[in-house]
This record gives sequence, structure tokens and C-alpha cells, in this order.
Amino acid sequence: MSVKSERRGIHVDQSELLCKKGCGYYGNVAWQGYCSKCWREEYQKARQKQIQEDWELAERLQREEEEAYANTQHTHGAQSLTFTKFEEKKTSEKLRKVATVKKFFGASSRPGTKKALVSKLKEVPEAKAPSPSISRQVSIETDRVSKDFIEFLKTYNKAGQEIYKQCKLFLDTMHRKRELSVEEQSEYAQSLYQNVADKLQTRWKVPPEKVEKVMDQVEKYIMTRLYKYVFCPETTEDEKKDLAVQRRIRALHWVTPQMLCVPVNEEIPEVSDVVVKAITDIIEMDSKRVPRDKLACITSCSKHIFNAIRTTKAEPASADDFLPTLIYIVLKGNPPRLQSNIQYITRFCNPSRLMTGEDGYYFTNLCCAVAFIEKLDAQSLNLSQEDFDRYMSGQTSPKKQEPENWPANVCVGMRQMYRNLGLLSQLNERQERIVSEAKKLERDLIDWTDGITKEVQEIVEKYPLEIKAPNPALAAIDSENVENDKLPPPLQPQVYAG
Amino acid sequence: MATAAASSGAGGGGAAAAAAGGRSFSFKVVLLGEGCVGKTSLVLRYCENKFNDKHITTLQASFLTKKLNIGGKRVNLAIWDTAGQERFHALGPIYYRDSNGAILVYDITDEDSFQKVKNWVKELRKMLGNEICLCIVGNKIDLEKERHVSIQEAESYAESVGAKHYHTSAKQNKGIEELFLDLCKRMIETAQVDERARGNGSSQSGAARRGVQIIDDEPAAQSSGGCCSSG
Repeated sequence: MSVKSERRGIHVDQSELLCKKGCGYYGNVAWQGYCSKCWREEYQKARQKQIQEDWELAERLQREEEEAYANTQHTHGAQSLTFTKFEEKKTSEKLRKVATVKKFFGASSRPGTKKALVSKLKEVPEAKAPSPSISRQVSIETDRVSKDFIEFLKTYNKAGQEIYKQCKLFLDTMHRKRELSVEEQSEYAQSLYQNVADKLQTRWKVPPEKVEKVMDQVEKYIMTRLYKYVFCPETTEDEKKDLAVQRRIRALHWVTPQMLCVPVNEEIPEVSDVVVKAITDIIEMDSKRVPRDKLACITSCSKHIFNAIRTTKAEPASADDFLPTLIYIVLKGNPPRLQSNIQYITRFCNPSRLMTGEDGYYFTNLCCAVAFIEKLDAQSLNLSQEDFDRYMSGQTSPKKQEPENWPANVCVGMRQMYRNLGLLSQLNERQERIVSEAKKLERDLIDWTDGITKEVQEIVEKYPLEIKAPNPALAAIDSENVENDKLPPPLQPQVYAG
Repeated sequence: MATAAASSGAGGGGAAAAAAGGRSFSFKVVLLGEGCVGKTSLVLRYCENKFNDKHITTLQASFLTKKLNIGGKRVNLAIWDTAGQERFHALGPIYYRDSNGAILVYDITDEDSFQKVKNWVKELRKMLGNEICLCIVGNKIDLEKERHVSIQEAESYAESVGAKHYHTSAKQNKGIEELFLDLCKRMIETAQVDERARGNGSSQSGAARRGVQIIDDEPAAQSSGGCCSSG
């Protein structure tokens, strides 16, 4: 930027401070000499042009890429093309990303009005480079699906060509109108389904079963290509809702099957196996890209649930049994991006499948389960409000209070630990008993000695020990002999001369 | 099962589809009613002709289909059971959205279950208007001696809300066949009236739009018509 006019001590002419465009307002160096209003206009114009060019380039590249792809299809293995194709793809990928970011900013700045979106593109922050490995992988899969689709349509001759053209046109439109709100995109997709199905039936006279099949292929083809852009788009609240549901389910970790009246007994090994399978299926839903495949996961999960109920109850499961069990499975599994998946299926699934079929029924039940979990309160679990609040705040858990009724999800180690704790407390009890018994014994012993002492004392008192004076007769054995005088005098020694 | 894949009714309309040959219809019917009124027995009797049978082969009785032929018109009936516990009451709208008919079952020995039916009727009429064919069904007539809901009361109530009333016994297989047959006929009628109202012939591509819209926080998006211009 020129800083000429800003040199110190030099008088700056008034006219130099004014807007370059001559609108009468003061300009600013930061805006290249324009006033704020004129600058915005100028900048916008340049931006618009830039964006327009970018779009055109992206489109052109897309077209070239597809042509190149079509060529490889025909000539089978034109290796030389692969590299340029990759290069192009990379560029277009980058441009596409830029567009997405644009869309994000554009959409958040204006709530409501769907129309006139195209003119709303605004400031473009530097786009983050997408992780290349992921987009590469996706494109390989996309190519495979396209190949399959083309193969499949070959069996339908003219109708196939027509359908392919229609899908192509649809995808082009979607690429061009990436800034549409997701609801509008969904409307487009739905009208495509409608259109193709109608044509198949009325113009090509395809029997209904086959129509179903073709529609599945159409869905697979377009949705593998669109998935990246329309699954959990930034313009919606989907991601926020996903997180909310996830947090909610985590907070409800303490809910037991008994509270939900789930008619499934996980003590039975086969049942707990099936429950695990059901959970795996519902979690796997997130990894699929085509709405129909996602539905298939839900259906398979539901079938496992029916199996579990059947094994436990030995009668066919009614909705009264099924829904609580599904809720329990969802709580236990906490499937990723639940809301996004539901929204995506609702928006982009072939409506005939969602409307009447068995898949639709299970999907509806899943929606019910999520709605129930979101609104769940003390009453719906037959708990008192205080208990519910305590469990929710994590102060206590119902599991600790009644360790006999652990749900099977407590891991083996935990169970072992609880069992050991039980044993320890038993041991403790016994020890205490021993101590108290020992004390008693001690007391008894003391009592016993006391008793003995007392008895001895008593006896002693009763029969005191008399120490009598020694017999005097012995001492005066001679003195008392009165007849001593009568005794002849003792013999005296006499000496005889001899 | 092969459902006609073409069109699906919008906003509670008839999900009638015109197949290449004759006429064929796909209808969704929801079963509503309190816990122990015998919803499950009713459908199992209808679809499998079994009652409390140890040999029931189906894994589940929550989603059942039946194919009918009524006067040359093929009908695919999808019967959706709903959870009847009080705690799931609020989920009703998710279940009965886009359904063509509703069977509201009560137990004639249980006054409360009839009260519950009345609540359902109010709700259904409020949410779906008159497009939905209602059947009120007093089940367990084999327990006539213990009846607690009077026949007159039930029948006059049904008439007052534009519903048909039936008495059934899943145990003795009474009245069930008639119930479903009648309902189908009425749904066909409604669908045809609906179709004519939309304009003759052009019904398939023009008016029929997408079906299930599960999420309740974007009802406005639905009302925009004429979306089929692309493609």
C-alpha cells in the first residue's frame, strides 16, 4: 500500500483523503483509498467475478473428468489418462471445498430466505485442504459404483440410457447448486425418484418389482456421489443434535432393562449374543453411504431384537415388546451420528421404501426410540423424581444398590470384582464373629477363674486353717511322769578292778 | 413383497398407485390401543388365522402385510402395530403419519381402554383431518358377560366422530375379516375421491410427492408445491 501521503510534517491535501470514487466521503488506505461503502462494492464485484470463474473452471474440470472416465470405460485401461485425471480431480476437489466453505458462510449470514442464494456468496476464507487419503478412497468407491450402475442399466437398453442421462443431469445440477439448502436438495432428489419411477412405469412399462430394483440402483448411484456433500451438512443443526443425543444417552447409562420393561432376558446366553449382534448392526449404520444400506442395518438390528424377544418369551413380538427393546439397544449401543443418519435417510431415501415397506416400519420405530430418549423423564421409567435426579446427576447408581440385578453390560472384570467384594464382606463378618466369640471366651475364662477363686475363698472361710500348738507331751515327756521318783535311779557307771 | 413403487401420497393422502395392468393400491394401517386389548391377537388372527397358538411361525406381529383382491383391485395392506403403553403415547404422531387407515382397539371389559380410544380419535382427527379412515373396534366379545362398555355408547360415539364401529373376538375369530374388508373398501374410496380431486389422469406425476417426513421441526418446507420441475 502506498504510504506516501502519510509522511510526517507534510500537509496532505483534503482531496487526497477523500474517497477515490468521488462520492464525497473520506477514504482509507486500508481500503485502497476508497470509502467503506465504495470499497465494499468494488471488492464484491471482483470477488463475484473470481467466484464465477472458479465455478466455471470447476464445472469444466468436472465435465472433462467425466468424459475422461467415459473414455476409460470404452477403451479399457488407458493408463496414460489416470495421472491427468487425478490431477484434475485434485483441483476440482479443492475448488469444491472452497465452494462449501463459501456456502457455509453465506448461509449462516441469512436465515430463512432460500431464493437468491447465488448472489449471496461472500467473503472466502482460505479453505482447509481436505484429507487426501479419504477423498481418494471415496472416489475409488464412487467409480466402482458408477461402473456397476452402467453395467446394470445396459440390461434396460433405451430406458437405461434415458435413466443414466437423467441421473447425470441431476448430479450436474446438484454440483452447480451446491449452495442450495439441504431441504431444497432433498426436494430435488425426491422429484428425481418420482420422475424416474413414473417414467419406468408409464413409458417403459416396466413391471413393479423391476421398478423397485431400478430405483434401488438409481439411489445407490446418486447417493454415493452426493453423500459427502449432503450428509450432515454444515448449514444444518444436525451435528449439534448428534452431540446432544450422544450426551443424553451417556447421561442415561444407568437405565436398566427392568426400568424400560424390556421383555428380554440377557441371562440366557443365546439372547445376550443376539443382543450384541443387534447393537453391532445399529452402530454399523453410520458406516454406510446409501440410504437403503442404512435402512438395511436398521432392519437387521430389528430382526435380531425379534429373535431375542422370541427366545425369551416364546411368542411373537408385538410393538409393545419391540419398541422398549429397541430403545434399550439404542441406549446400550449409543450409535454414532444418530440424528444425522435419520435426517439423511428421511431426506434422500427413495420414498416408496420409507413409506410402505418393512424397512420403513423399523425406521419409524428408530425415530420413535430417539424421540423417546430425548424426552425421557422420571415418569416414563416409573421412577420417583428424586431417584431420577439422583441417577442423572451421577450421585448414585441403581446398580450399586441392587447388585443382584446387574445388567449384562457390566464387564466380566467388574462382576468378578463385585463378587470378590461380596466375599470379602462375608469374610469380614465372620472375622467379627470370631473376635466376638473370642472375647466371650476370654470373659468366660475370667469368670471361671473368678468363680473358682470365690469358691475356694468360701471354702477357706468355711473351714479356716487352724494352726494348733505343738504337742507339749513330747517336750516334757519326763517331767510329767509322776512316778519318776519311784523308779530306781539310773544305773551309774562303775569301775571294776579287774 | 412387491409394492407398487410409483407414487406415495403426500400429507395423508391415499398412497394409491396405478400399476401397469389393473389397479393396485398400497395402504398403511396403524393399530392403536392400550396394552392388553388384544391388538396383537387381532392381527395374528387376521394374517395367520391363529390365536394364542404355540405354532405361530412369525417372529413378530408388529409389522404384517396382507394382499387382497377386492373387486379386481389389488390391495397391499401394511399393518403397523404401535406400542400401547402410556409412556409411549406421545410418539403416536410419528407412527400414524401418512397412514390411510387407523384401527382403534378397546377391550369391552375395560372402560379405561375405551376412554383411551377416544383420546386417540381426537388426536388423529386433529393431526390428519378426515383423510384417514377410522375403525373403532370392541374386542373380546367372547367375554360378553363381563362387558363394561355399553354397545349404544360405543356405537353412537363412533358415529359422532365419523368412524365405523365393529365388534370382534380374536379368540373366536368373529368380525375380523369384515373389519379389514370394510376398511379396505373405504380406503379405496377415499383414495379414488382424492385422486379425482387432484385432476383426472395426471395424478401420478403431478400431485403425488414424497411420503414420510419424520422430523417435526420443519413443517414449512413441505408446503412448497410444484417441485417436480427438474429432472
